[in-house]
Amino acid sequence: MSTPAAHPPSLPEETGPSAARPPMELSDLSVMIGGQGGDGTLTVSDLLGRYFRKRGLYVYTSRNVLSRIRGGHADASVRASRDPTSAVKPQVDVLVAFDNEAIQLGRAELAPHGFILYDSTTFHTDLPNAVGFPFATLVGGPLGQPIFKNTAAYGALSVLLGFDEPMTRSVIEERFKRRGGEALEKNLKALDIGRKAASENPDVPNRFSLVDGDAHSLILTTGNQAVALGFVVGGGRFFAGYPITPATEIMEYLQRYLPPFEGVVRQAEDELAAVNMIIGAAYAGARVMTSTSGPGLSLMTEGIGHAGTAEIPIVVADCQRVGPSTGQPTRHEQSDLSHLANLGHGEYPRFILAPSDPSDCFLLTTEALNLADRWRLPVILLLDQALCQNTATSRRFDLSAVHVDRGKRLTAEAVQKLEQYKVYQYGDGASPYAVPGTPGVWSEVTGNEHDEWGHVSVNPENRVRMMKKRMDKMVLARGELPNARLFGPPEAKIGLIGFGSTSGPILEAQSLLGAKGVPTRYLQVRTLYPVPVHEIEPFLRSVDVAFVVEHNYTGQFARLLRETIPAQYTKLRSILRYDGYTFRAPQIVQAVQGGK
Amino acid sequence: MVQSAKPHSPIWCPGCGDFGVLAAVKRAAADLKIPTHELVLVGGIGCSGSIHNFLEINGIHALHGRLLAQAVGVKLANPSLTVLAAGGDGDGYAIGMGHFIHAFKKNASILYIVMNNETYGLTKGQASPTSQIGFEGNVEPPFHSILTALSIPAPNFIARTFSGDPKGMTAILEEALRFNREGRGFAFVEDLSPCVTYNDTYKLWREKVVDVSKLDGYDPTDRKRMFGVCLDIIDSGRIPIGVMHRPKDSDSAEGLEVKLVGSKRGPVRADSTLETNLPAYQKLLGGLA
Repeated sequence: MSTPAAHPPSLPEETGPSAARPPMELSDLSVMIGGQGGDGTLTVSDLLGRYFRKRGLYVYTSRNVLSRIRGGHADASVRASRDPTSAVKPQVDVLVAFDNEAIQLGRAELAPHGFILYDSTTFHTDLPNAVGFPFATLVGGPLGQPIFKNTAAYGALSVLLGFDEPMTRSVIEERFKRRGGEALEKNLKALDIGRKAASENPDVPNRFSLVDGDAHSLILTTGNQAVALGFVVGGGRFFAGYPITPATEIMEYLQRYLPPFEGVVRQAEDELAAVNMIIGAAYAGARVMTSTSGPGLSLMTEGIGHAGTAEIPIVVADCQRVGPSTGQPTRHEQSDLSHLANLGHGEYPRFILAPSDPSDCFLLTTEALNLADRWRLPVILLLDQALCQNTATSRRFDLSAVHVDRGKRLTAEAVQKLEQYKVYQYGDGASPYAVPGTPGVWSEVTGNEHDEWGHVSVNPENRVRMMKKRMDKMVLARGELPNARLFGPPEAKIGLIGFGSTSGPILEAQSLLGAKGVPTRYLQVRTLYPVPVHEIEPFLRSVDVAFVVEHNYTGQFARLLRETIPAQYTKLRSILRYDGYTFRAPQIVQAVQGGK
Repeated sequence: MVQSAKPHSPIWCPGCGDFGVLAAVKRAAADLKIPTHELVLVGGIGCSGSIHNFLEINGIHALHGRLLAQAVGVKLANPSLTVLAAGGDGDGYAIGMGHFIHAFKKNASILYIVMNNETYGLTKGQASPTSQIGFEGNVEPPFHSILTALSIPAPNFIARTFSGDPKGMTAILEEALRFNREGRGFAFVEDLSPCVTYNDTYKLWREKVVDVSKLDGYDPTDRKRMFGVCLDIIDSGRIPIGVMHRPKDSDSAEGLEVKLVGSKRGPVRADSTLETNLPAYQKLLGGLA
C-alpha cells in the first residue's frame, strides 16, 4: 500500500498582460496544439515533451486525431508537472492554433488566464489574450516551404514560456539529427524565425514560467512501446498481428526489436490468421503474442477459445477503443471487458490482466507470458487507447523484476525418464508438455474434447474430468495473479475502484478530494478475471461506498463485481464516461461529492 | 521407448479416398526417412482433417478453415520441423479461402494436402465449393483450385493427385516433401478423394483424369502455358492431374522461413533466457529517455 505524492495543481492568480507583468509561474502546465491533420501538431507536442523532460518535469501527452491520414481537425496536448501525473490537465494554459477550428474547439478548455498563440496566415481572431503570427508565411519565404510553421510555433512558444534557449535548440537537434543535414538546418532556422517574431511582440515573452522538476531519471514512453519491450524481455519470440488502431504500434515496435533476438514478426492477412499463427507457433514451443483492438478481437474470439480448450499458451493484447463495430477507431473506451470475461462459445479458463501505466505494461506483459506457459491457456492483456498511445513519464523498466518461467516444459532428457507421455495428463491444471521435435515422443492437440492422449473423445466421464482440469486453473492460479494496488488512508470510508489508464485521473481526483478534506481509498485492480474476490471483498467491507470508475455505458466492471461479490453490491456506484475522451479529475471529484 | 499417443483406427467409411492419402503420407515420410518426432501434421475440420489421429506424429486438430495459419506458425517458429496441413475442400476452399490464397503468397515451406470429394461428407453430403452444378441443388459453378494456384505468381509446388492412383500420389507427395525440406516454399497437392457415401466418383474420375505430365510439350515451369492446358482440359469436361508447377531454379530456397529465419535458430530454438540476453536487453531498454 502506498499513498500518491501528487499535490493539487497550484494555479497562481491571473496577472493580465502588461509590459511590467511578472511571468506567471506554473508548476503544472498544459499546452494544447490544434490544427488540420498534417499541420504537424504532434511534432510540436513531441518537441515540448522533450523540452519538459530536460527540465526534469513529469510529462503526459495525449492526442486527438481522426482516422484519416491528412486533414480533419487534429490536436495534441502536453502536460508538464512538477509532481507525478498520468492524466490530461482539466484546463489548458496555452492553446496553439493553426486554424480557426482549433480555437473554437480549444477555447472551451482554456483556463481564465489562458493564452492563445495562433498562425495568422489564413485567419484572424479578436479574442483577448490571443496573439497571431503568420508562421506559414514567415517560414515559407526563407525556407521555401510552409511546413516548418510548426517548428516556428515551437520557437514562439519557447519565448512565451521563457524557455532556456540552448536547451530549446538542443531539442530540435535531437529530434531532427537522424533525418540529416537539411531537415535539421531548416528546422533550426524555423525555430529562430519563431523566436524572433515572438520576442518582438511585447505581449509574448516570458508570459509564463515553469518550475523545474527532479524527475530526471525517468523515461517518457507509451503503453504500446512498454508492451513490445516487455514481450522481448519476457522471452517472446513470435508475434503475428494485423494493423488496427490503437494497437498497431506494438507490431511496429516488435518489427524493430525482435529480429536481433531471432524472433519473427508477421503481419497476417487478417486477425483470424494472426491468432492462429501464434497458436501454431506456441504449439511449436515459442513464446507468442498478438495485439489487436475491438473488431480484431471479435475475429480472434474463435482462436482464443481454441487455445483455451486445446491448452495452448497465448497472450493477446487488447488495445480497447470505442466500439462496437468500427466504432471510433482513434478514441478511448474500456468496453471490451464483459466480452472478454465471457469470451467465445463454451466455457474455458482465461486470465485478464490490466496494467495501469507503461512500467506496469512492461511488467505485466512478462507476467502474462509466464502465466500463459505455466497454466497453458490464453492470457489477455487488457489495455486502452490512452494507455496504449499517450506518452507518460514512467519509472525505468525494471529488469530485476522480470523472470522467465516456461512452466512444466519437458526437456529431451526428462522425456526419456517417462514411461508414457500424455499431453493432457489429468492432474492439477497444466500438464507437462514436450515440444514437437523432442526425440521419442509426439504431441497431439485438439480443440475437440479429448482424452489424456489428445485424441477426440465423447466419453462423459472424461468430459467432466477435462472440464474440471481446465476450469480449475482459474482457482489454482489465484495466488500467482498480479495483485491490486491500494492508495490512500486505510480509514477512508469512500472507495474508488478502477483499472487501466483511469489510474492517472483517479489519483489526481484522490489528491483533489484529500485537499478538500474528503479522504478516499483507491483500489487499482490489475487482475480483472478471474475476479480477485479476495482483494475486492475486503476492500468493499472497509468502505461505506465504492465508486467504480470506467469508460463504458453499462458499468461493465461494476456489473462483474455485483455478480461475483453479491453481498457487497449495495455499496457499488458507477462513474462512467463513454464520449471517447478520458476522465478529467474534476469529473470524478464532482461525482464522488455528489455521492451518486 | 516412451509411449505417446497411439494412432486410432480411421473414422472413415470403407473405401473412402482418404485412406489412399493416409497410406501415401506414411509411405512418403518413411521413404524420405523423416523422424516421426520432427513431423507435424495440422488437420482441418471434416472427415479428412482427422488424419493426424491415425499417424504416430505430432498433430494439431485445428479450427475449421484455419489449419494453414496454424501450420505457417509452426514452421516459422521452428523451421527444422517438417510441417504438413491436411483437410477437405470445404475447409480449404470455403471457410479457409482467405488463408488458402495467402498461403501461396506467403510461400512458407509446408505441404498442404486438400482431400477434395466435392461435398461436405461429415455433415452428410451438402454442396461444397467444388461441387458440380446440379449436385444437391447446387447452382454455382465449381471452384478450380489448380487454376487459382497457377494464377498466383509465387514459386510454389502445385500438383493434383487421385486416390485411385496411390503410386502416382506417393511419388508426388515425396517430391512435395523434398521441396519443403529444401526450404523452397509452399507445396500444394489436391487429392481427388471420392466420398463413397455421398459422392462416389471413383469410376467417373478414373475415366476423366488427364495426367498433364503425359501430354506433349509438358513444362511445369511454364505457368502461363500450364494454365491454358488445364483450362482446356476442364472445358472439355475432364480433370487435370499431375505436377502442374515447380519453380525453374532448382537451387533457390525461397521459403518464407528461409527469408525470416535463414541459418539462425528461430523463435523456438533461440536462447531466450533472461541471463543470456541480459546485456542486449539492458542496451535495448537503455535506449529509452
